[in-house]
Formats: sequence, C-alpha cells, structure tokens
Amino acid sequence: MAALLETRGLTKYFGGLYAINGVDLTIDAGEIRCLIGPNGAGKSTLFKLIIGTYQPTGGTVLFGGADLTLLKPYQRVNQGLSIKFQVPGIFLDLLVDQNLRIALQQKSGPHEIDEEVDRLLDFLDLAQSRDMQAGNLSHGQQQWLEIGMAIALKPRLLLLDEPTAGMSPEETFKTGELVKRLNAEGMTVIVIEHDMTFVRQIAKKVTVLHFGKVFDEGSLEDIINSDDVARIYLGKD
Amino acid sequence: MRRTGLLALFDGPQTAWNGMSFRLCFVLAVLALATVPLYAEFFVVNNLAYFLLWTFMALGLSLIWGYAGILSFGQTAFFGLAGYGYGVVSINLGDAHGLTWVAFLAALVLPALLAALIGYFMFYGGIRDVFVGIVTLSITLVFETFMAQTAGPEWHIGSARLNGFNGMSGMPALTVPWFGGEDVMLDGNTFFWFVLALLVVVYLALRWLVNSRFGNVLVAIRENPDRAEMLGYNVRRYQTIAFVIGGTLAGVSGILYTTWGSYITPSSMGLTSAALPIIWVAAGGRKDITATMVATVFLIWVSQTLAVKGAQYALVLMGVLLLLVVLLAPEGLVLATVRGIRRVVLRVTGRRVATTAMAKRTEGS
Amino acid sequence: MLATLFGFVYQVADTFAFLILSASGLAIIFGMMGVINLAHGEFIMCGAYVTVLSARAGLPLPLAMLLGALTAGVVGIVIEYLVIRRLYKRLFDSIVATWAISLIATQGMLIVAGPSIEGLKTPFGSFEVGGLSFSSYRITLAAAALLILAGIYWLFVRTKFGVRARATIQNPAMARALGVDTDRVYALTFGLGAALAGLTGALYAPTMTTVPTMGSAFIVQSFVTVVVGGADVFLGAAPAAAILAFIQSLLTASYGQLIGQVGLLVTVIVVVRILPKGISGWMLRDSN
Repeated sequence: MAALLETRGLTKYFGGLYAINGVDLTIDAGEIRCLIGPNGAGKSTLFKLIIGTYQPTGGTVLFGGADLTLLKPYQRVNQGLSIKFQVPGIFLDLLVDQNLRIALQQKSGPHEIDEEVDRLLDFLDLAQSRDMQAGNLSHGQQQWLEIGMAIALKPRLLLLDEPTAGMSPEETFKTGELVKRLNAEGMTVIVIEHDMTFVRQIAKKVTVLHFGKVFDEGSLEDIINSDDVARIYLGKD
Repeated sequence: MRRTGLLALFDGPQTAWNGMSFRLCFVLAVLALATVPLYAEFFVVNNLAYFLLWTFMALGLSLIWGYAGILSFGQTAFFGLAGYGYGVVSINLGDAHGLTWVAFLAALVLPALLAALIGYFMFYGGIRDVFVGIVTLSITLVFETFMAQTAGPEWHIGSARLNGFNGMSGMPALTVPWFGGEDVMLDGNTFFWFVLALLVVVYLALRWLVNSRFGNVLVAIRENPDRAEMLGYNVRRYQTIAFVIGGTLAGVSGILYTTWGSYITPSSMGLTSAALPIIWVAAGGRKDITATMVATVFLIWVSQTLAVKGAQYALVLMGVLLLLVVLLAPEGLVLATVRGIRRVVLRVTGRRVATTAMAKRTEGS
Repeated sequence: MLATLFGFVYQVADTFAFLILSASGLAIIFGMMGVINLAHGEFIMCGAYVTVLSARAGLPLPLAMLLGALTAGVVGIVIEYLVIRRLYKRLFDSIVATWAISLIATQGMLIVAGPSIEGLKTPFGSFEVGGLSFSSYRITLAAAALLILAGIYWLFVRTKFGVRARATIQNPAMARALGVDTDRVYALTFGLGAALAGLTGALYAPTMTTVPTMGSAFIVQSFVTVVVGGADVFLGAAPAAAILAFIQSLLTASYGQLIGQVGLLVTVIVVVRILPKGISGWMLRDSN
C-alpha cells in the first residue's frame, strides 16, 4: 500500500544547528499518528517542513507519491493537506460564522455553503456562538473553531500541533473524540502532543523525535513502556 | 448570514451599514446631490465636483489598507501617473471625436500596469507590513523627483511638455461626441453629474466586491495572512489584485483632477500629498467604504474652508486630527460617531422599553 | 587625475557622513524599539532651527549646536511620553501617528516662523587640491560622523544605561523583573534618537537654508540607510552608509544629481526585495 505521506532524509539547518536531521517518516492512509518528544526535538519544525512554511535543507516530502518541494503552502493545502498550528490562528475580529464561511467557500458553492456552515457548527458544538466575535470565544472553543476551519476543506491529511494546549481535561477528551470521529470518516491525522492522556486516547502509532531525529517508533504500548523514551524525557541525553 | 435576492449582493459583513433604511438614505443622498446643479451657482457645483473627485483615491486606499491590510503610501504615484498620462495623450490627440476618452482609458491603464508590476514585485517577493510602506513611499518620491526635474523644453512627449516643477497644463476637458451637432464638453454641471454617476457606479461595485467571496478572502488576509494561506488561498495574488484596483481608482481621481483644473503638478506626488489620502481614510474609518467616502468629502471641505487663511492651518488641523484619531478612535471618526450615537439611542429607548415592560408586569400581578 | 580621485573620495566621505548622521537617530529608534519615526526629519529641523536662532542671538556655534541637539532630545522625550508610548504594539498606528506629528511640526513651524529664517555661514572656509576647492567644514562633518559612531558604540556597550537599554529591548518583562525602569529606558532611548537627529540638524544648519520642510532632505536618505542596514546600528547602518555613499557618488559623478538620488531609491527597493532584513539581518541570519 502506498504511503500517504513520506519524508525521505528530511533535513533542516538553521540557527547554527540541525533542527531536523535526516528524518524518514512514513504515514499510511487512515492512521492516527502521534508525534512526541522533548521540547526542541523539532516536532513543529517538521510540521512546517511538511506544510511548506520552511524549505528543507535536504531531503524530500512526498504526498500521495508526489514530490511537494516546489509547492507553496497554499498549493499543498489544495492538494489535500491541512494544518492547525500551535499558536491559535483564527480571524479574531470576524464572527465565528464568517470564520467558517471563509474556510468553506473554496469548496462549497453558494447554495451548499449555508448548510455546510450549519453542519460544521453542530459538529464543533459552536452553534450557539455563531454570531459571536471569534476573539470572544473561550480558549478551547477557539481551538475547535480552528480545527473546524482546518477540516472544512475535507483534507486527506490533517496536521494538529498541540491541539489541546491550554484545554481543561473535559475539553481535551472532547477533542480526542472529535479526532477519532474524523479518522473514522477517513481522515488521516498526525498529532503533536505533550499530554500523554490525550495520546493514549487517540493514538494508534507513535513516533518519538529527539534532537531532530526519529528516536523510536512503534505502537502506543511499545512506546509508553519504553525505558529509553522515558529517559530522554527525563533529560539524560 | 442568509442572503437572498439581488440587493443582498450589496450587503454583507464588510460594510458597516446594510439594509433597507440605509438604502433609502443612500438613494435620498444621491438624489439630493444630483439636484444641486438645478438651483446652485456654477462655483458651488464646481466645488462639489472637486470634493467628489478625490473620493475614488480614498476608496482605493480603503480597499487596499482597510480591507486587505496593506499600508501603501504610494497612491499619489498612481494619481500623478494617470494625471500626466491623460495630459500627454489628450494634448497629443486633441479633443475631437471623443478622443479624450481614449486618453481617459490610456491614462487608466498606466497606473493599473504600474500597480501590477509593483504589486508583483512586492507581494511575490515577500515584502510585508512596514516595508510595503517604505517601498511605495520611495516610488512616489522617485516620481516626484523625476517629474520636478523635467523643466526644460527637451522634456516632452509628442506635443506635450512635462514642464518640471510648474506642471503640465492646457489639456482639454473630457468631451462627449454628440450626434449632429457640437461636442458636449464636460464642464460645470455636466462634469459634476459625470463624476457623481461614476462615483455611484464605483461605490456600488466596491460594495459588491467587498461583500463577495473575494472580499471575504481580503479581510481574512488582513486579519491573519498565514491562516488564509493555510486555507488554500494564494494570498499574494489577492493582495496584488487589491493593489491594482486601488491603484486604478487613484488613477481615476488623477484623471478627474487633471480635467477639472486643466493642470497637474509634481507636488501632487510629494510627501505632503501622499499623507492626505492616509488622513482621510484613517480619520473616516478605513475598514468601511461608506465611512471613508463621507469622511473624505467632509475633510476636504474643512481643509478648503481653513485654507482660505493659509494652507498650513488646514494641514496642521489635519495632522492634529490624524493624531487624535490614532490615539483615541483608531477605528475612525465616522464609525466611532455613529456607534456612539447608536449607543446613546439604545440607552434612551432601552430605558423606555424596560419601563413599559415593568409597568406591564406590575399591572398584571 | 589625482584631483579627480580626491574629489571622488571626498564625495563618498561627505555622503557617508551625511547618511550616518541622518540615519543614526532613526536607526536607534527603529533598530532598538521597532518604531518607524516618520517625524525624524522634524527633529532634525528642530535642532537646526534652535542652533541658528541661538547662534544668531550670540551663543558660540558649538554651544548653539549642543543646545539644538538637547532641545530635540527633550522634545523627543515628551513625544515618547505623550504619543509613542501608547503605540508600541501597534506598528501601523505608530507610523501614521509620527507622520501626523511631522505634518503638525512642519506646518506649525511655517505658521510660527514663516517660510524661512536667516541662516548661518559655513565655517572654516575651503582648501584646494589640484585646482578644485573643497569645503573644510564638510571634512569636519565626516570626522564628526565617525566620532558619533564611536560614541554610540561606547554608550550602548560600555555604559550601564546602554546595557539596560539593550536588555529592555530584548526582553522587557525580564528587564523589569530585574529592576530596570523600562518606561524610563524607552523614553531616554527615544530621546537619544531624537537628540542625534537634532545634532544632525545642528551640524548641517550652517550648510543649508533653514526652512520648515528642511527635514525632508534627510528623511529619504535616512530611511534608505536604515532599511538597507537592517535593525542593528553597527553591523548595519555603518556598512549600509558606506555602500550607499559609494553608489550615490558614482551615479552622481557619472550621470548627475537626479540619477544619484533615483539610484539611492532604487537601491532600497532592490535591497528590500533581496535582503528583507537588511545587511545586518543577513549577517546575523544563522545565529538565531
């Protein structure tokens, strides 16, 4: 089976060091992959390389077999990728309804878009806030709004960078269920996370990054029980 | 936001005032203006036309800055380019057979092309935020410097002399060829009606544009360009298109200014001139085209009244106004005033509603 | 032949001095505080006017110049307190606000002092090389430019104020936690930038006509230098001034004043495109 996303020897050098140092990653369609690792391991950098914000110093990114290197981020999004960055990125001054409309209008015609907005609002449990300014939503709601915008384009691959940052345990659980539902409907998801409860809730397979390299990779059980992984978190390296 | 019907195309989240009552006010205002030449003197009508002709540049800047979030100091470059362009072409072609309209179109193409070139260079080159301002200001100053040096007789295009610091003059007014008779020169009343009609068309077109999908993407880019890119929009392309439209509108003002006074000078592209559209748009409310339009006309009228004493008094006031707006009412004075009035009205009527409801409750029990 | 060569070197040195002096105040304010001060030219004008008026009233020229610089500095501190302080997070608004101040200052000066005031004579006379005469004063200015650069370096690297200022700019919260009065640092830094601008005006006052819009002769050059140089005053503004002085002198010598000016503006447009963070940004690019 051809991999949905593949990085080969991906390298990124800046700031005097190799933020990403020869990463070979393979994600198959239908996976929920969690990307973990200590701070500074290069996880967000890897996402930025995949979505195209950064150009690699070396190596390639392949999506559905096609080389993405020459494509700008908006072109990669139109190929079926979507990302939610760590720092919340919604249109704070615009209404919730408008936020989603802008996300949806690329793919939906003028007659379907109203229904699509309604459907998304229900899915995100934000229907009662539709006419609020997005900046007035709670932090957790803002995160969901952004996830909603990220999935509006019905991407094949969704990248989530610490989606539960700043969320309460209930919100975190809700987010996990949301991700599982998306995956059940056919979306492949890669999630960067620090919250191990969340990782346990959703992950099927886990990749561990350390100093810009893949340190370990395996099923949820293997990684959680690995002494080596625990050690790098405790800072032995 | 459910929108149905043709009129709804002109309504939307990107214009502050929508709906039937606004439409009524708008129609009344246009009618009121259109009837002014029927009873007012030539001087008043001519002056009104002068106020109105600047609004195109202000609307263009509102689109670029208020809606797309691009602070351009270069609108006067397009203004001047179009003005000189019209002068050169119309002086060379003459005003017979409606050739002045060829000059008009040619003079519009120039700023459009320049804006496309500059826009491509800046936005596709990754120039953002404050550096857009610096590049556009530099371009305006290059133009002014260049044109101011063209005093000698060797500086001419065809039979049109550029004339350096003193500027170009003597270009013909716009003329409409009339069947079986004299060409109608657009002057006084006819010029006023032409500018008013053009303004109504441009305003409605912009209202439609900013409330359309294109407009949605523009404000998205203004709010968060990275997120807009991550939603699959080619941010550069939208910015360039907005910039071209804004530059062309500045060109419309330039052409109308040139035909109104039959002159164009390099100082219309100087540092002070470049500040003026920024002041009008910021003071009115750059995020709304109606507020911008109203503020521009008002401020030009105020400046003109003050300039009787000396242009410097008008400019000092403009400077103070701009400073106060930035510090106290950054969303613009027109918007702030209307919101303030609405709040007061709500408080007054709100109280009345509460009293009635309370009275009904006490009656019922 | 030697005379032409000397003439060219003189021209480059003269332009270099002009650019460094024009840009130093702006570079400090932009480089250290991220504020685009479009009223920069008016601080220069302020320094020039105060110098001319006090020199004409009898004050010895060096003292008059000092007074000019100080006045501009004080005005700068006042403006920082009243206006700039509220706009640190709002870049666009600070640009528009300082432009408004510039407009108020030039037109206000026009109202108060009229279209021009009687100026000063250029001191020190001239000297000759190979049949061409050059102004001795402008050589002094070139020396002054280098002295000022050295002074700025000493201030920001060797004094307590300088260290505190750089700490505040890098990380205001941390600086405050360490007991630094960040408000005072901002005010003084802005005042220093304004004072440097005033000093430029003071130094050039004997060579120019004193008109309210005289700042505009400097503002384009200073912006060009700061943009080409990037945020760091030393790594950026100094090499930028040197390179730009060379370009402008070359173009002026070959094609005349206009092309020299235009060449400068075209350079900034090209540099912004190729090196968006300026020379110093490019030099520091890997050490982030």
